[in-house]
Amino acid sequence: MIVLGSTSEVAQAFVEKALQEGEKFEKIYLFTSSKETTERFARHIDVMFLQQSEVIELDLMKEIDYNQFDYVNSNVLFCATGYLGDGTEEGLYDNKNTEKIIDINYSKLVPVMNYFAQKFESRRSGTIIGLSSVAGDRGRQSNFIYGSAKAAFTAYLSGLRNYLFEKKVHVMTVKPGFMATKMTEGLPLNPKLTATPKQAAACIYKAFKKQKNVVYVLPIWGVIMMIIRNIPEFIFKKLKL
Amino acid sequence: MKPNFIQKVTNWGNFPIVEKEMKSEDSFKKIKDFVINHNEVIARGNGRCYGDASLGEHIFSTKKLNKFISFDRLNGILECESGVLLSDVLEISVPQGYFLYVTPGTKFVSVGGAIASDVHGKNHHAEGCFSEYVIEFKLMTENGDIITCSREENIDKFWATIGGMGLTGIILTAKFKLKNIESAYIRQESIKAENLDEIFTLFEESESWTYTVAWIDCLQKGKDIGRSILMRGEHAFQHELPQNLTKNPLRLKKKLQPTVPFYFPNFALNSLTVKIFNLLYYKKQSKKEVKNFIDYETFFYPLDAVNEWNKIYGKSGFIQYQMVIPKETGKEGMKKILETIANSGNGSFLAVLKLFGKNNPEAYNSFPFEGYTLALDFKVNSKLKKLVEQLDSIVQEFGGRIYLTKDSMSRSSLTNYLKNVQSSKFVSLQHKRIINNNS
Ligand SMILES: Cc1cc2nc3c(=O)[nH]c(=O)nc-3n(C[C@H](O)[C@H](O)[C@H](O)COP(=O)(O)OP(=O)(O)OC[C@H]3O[C@@H](n4cnc5c(N)ncnc54)[C@H](O)[C@@H]3O)c2cc1C
Repeated sequence: MIVLGSTSEVAQAFVEKALQEGEKFEKIYLFTSSKETTERFARHIDVMFLQQSEVIELDLMKEIDYNQFDYVNSNVLFCATGYLGDGTEEGLYDNKNTEKIIDINYSKLVPVMNYFAQKFESRRSGTIIGLSSVAGDRGRQSNFIYGSAKAAFTAYLSGLRNYLFEKKVHVMTVKPGFMATKMTEGLPLNPKLTATPKQAAACIYKAFKKQKNVVYVLPIWGVIMMIIRNIPEFIFKKLKL
Repeated sequence: MKPNFIQKVTNWGNFPIVEKEMKSEDSFKKIKDFVINHNEVIARGNGRCYGDASLGEHIFSTKKLNKFISFDRLNGILECESGVLLSDVLEISVPQGYFLYVTPGTKFVSVGGAIASDVHGKNHHAEGCFSEYVIEFKLMTENGDIITCSREENIDKFWATIGGMGLTGIILTAKFKLKNIESAYIRQESIKAENLDEIFTLFEESESWTYTVAWIDCLQKGKDIGRSILMRGEHAFQHELPQNLTKNPLRLKKKLQPTVPFYFPNFALNSLTVKIFNLLYYKKQSKKEVKNFIDYETFFYPLDAVNEWNKIYGKSGFIQYQMVIPKETGKEGMKKILETIANSGNGSFLAVLKLFGKNNPEAYNSFPFEGYTLALDFKVNSKLKKLVEQLDSIVQEFGGRIYLTKDSMSRSSLTNYLKNVQSSKFVSLQHKRIINNNS
């Protein structure tokens, strides 16, 4: 398995879930921007499952030399890379913030995804799982920079799914709603709408086995977003969402 | 939305409830920042202490320190971060033929919490406290330094931290020994006792057993006082197991876990329902003596079978009152305690009696010493404070002490065995309460 964004608690929970379910991987490649914490995770899965893994530094904000990843190959890619940044009110006119959000969630991420997608394409097998966000379903005043980058990423995954279908590679889009993770720590979230990383991982794993195309982590989010998407624009623009 | 780390926090008894800052980090550097930038900090594991021990102004939750570090499968030595739960440890160790040397009555406690409370199990008389098997741990001290504590290194801090209730710093990682087992099953004998005399005799006769514990029906009066069931057990060897368990002796089948869906209304638990429960529990076993093989979960963690069972006590919460009384006067003391409870009409749903063995004098902050220990659950109500005062007086009279990890109401003189932990940085609500009480 190849994991992009290995410090993500959902990614880690997914790896654990897959191993618990008896999935076998020759090696797990853990790409990360924070080597220290990911190395701890690598030791952890070694102790728990005798699973070999390798920690590879990847900073999307730096120049990437793809040659060094030549040997990295697998049947599953899990992409949990993401950056929330500041919300609109604090961050709209801060270009650094805007750029970083767009770069990490979309523009710098896509070439990396493409690099691995090509490997899958030539193998003619495998599954690519991408974590997008419900924020990408419709731009809302509170965080539309993040939302727009995720919308672009959602569109990318959808196109990639279409493109790789004939080549026997499956692409799954995951849209978590609120999740109790580092990203949202301390925010007053409604517990009924919030999934723990463990719950999210279990749901993603199930969808992975069933080869689903697009999944909402908690089903309720499918309903909420359907409503939000269908509010007529002349009303939507007046709402404080 | 701006982050807001103030939240409602409460431990297993749902009493008291506080609104304080609670934060969790997995990077040691960030934990250091948290420690340095706050005045009063206290670590919290999984909140399975009943009362106010892991509550304070700024709570550091070890929830994210949940990684294993190493497992020496040849010698059964495990190292992990302090927020790893004993249930996580068992998940990997049991299939490999290893078990915890010492486990409390729930597996949902963290390794850090087990050290800070120096927990005991049903085998205290035979194998002592959790600390006996701790090789070393890493502790973050007041200025954010990380020190390794063991029997050879930073010895003072090692012993002060064991049973030190989080007041010496934050335990970050720990290394400890596991015991060999051949199966995930326990050979158990349960024996009914009609009264206190009988149960004490049974305990003394069972001293050669590794695990012993008794459930007491504590609403009985007069000659029936101390009516109970003693359970004793040993890890089963493979060759003793009945045929149907020999195929996969180290693996248990997955069981369904019911969850208590909401807080029970206040009237649900009154002396009548407690009486009925205890009667049923006692009558369930119709024979005087039953011998069988049961899986380790049912033997060690019967209460874990129902998630969030603490909610049956309703929103006002409950306390657990656990004391130990020296062996010589134990019987007399227990009798007085049970009489007082029966007369108060404040029934205890759950009453567990055990005989502690000799204590390790080096672990001076540990609660257990040789004698009888009783743990009782009481629903919080207006009469409870008075009952606790009465019980405290009896415990004092008999030279006993109270278990800090369950305490939220007792008088400080019963908890003053805690030594060498005074710190201006690491402060819990419990410690403040006890100190104030002192003056
Ligand atoms: C159903 C049930 C049965 C139980 N049975 C038993 C039993 O048989 N025997 C027994 O001994 N206990 C028993 N207990 C009590 C329980 O074992 C202890 O309270 C244990 O310490 C709880 O661990 P925790 O991780 O939940 O810690 P918490 O409850 O969060 O904290 C407990 C104490 O440990 C400190 N602490 C926690 N983590 C750290 C850390 N990383 N560094 C420093 N300090 C820390 C806290 O400050 C606090 O003082 C039982 C509890 C329940 C709910």
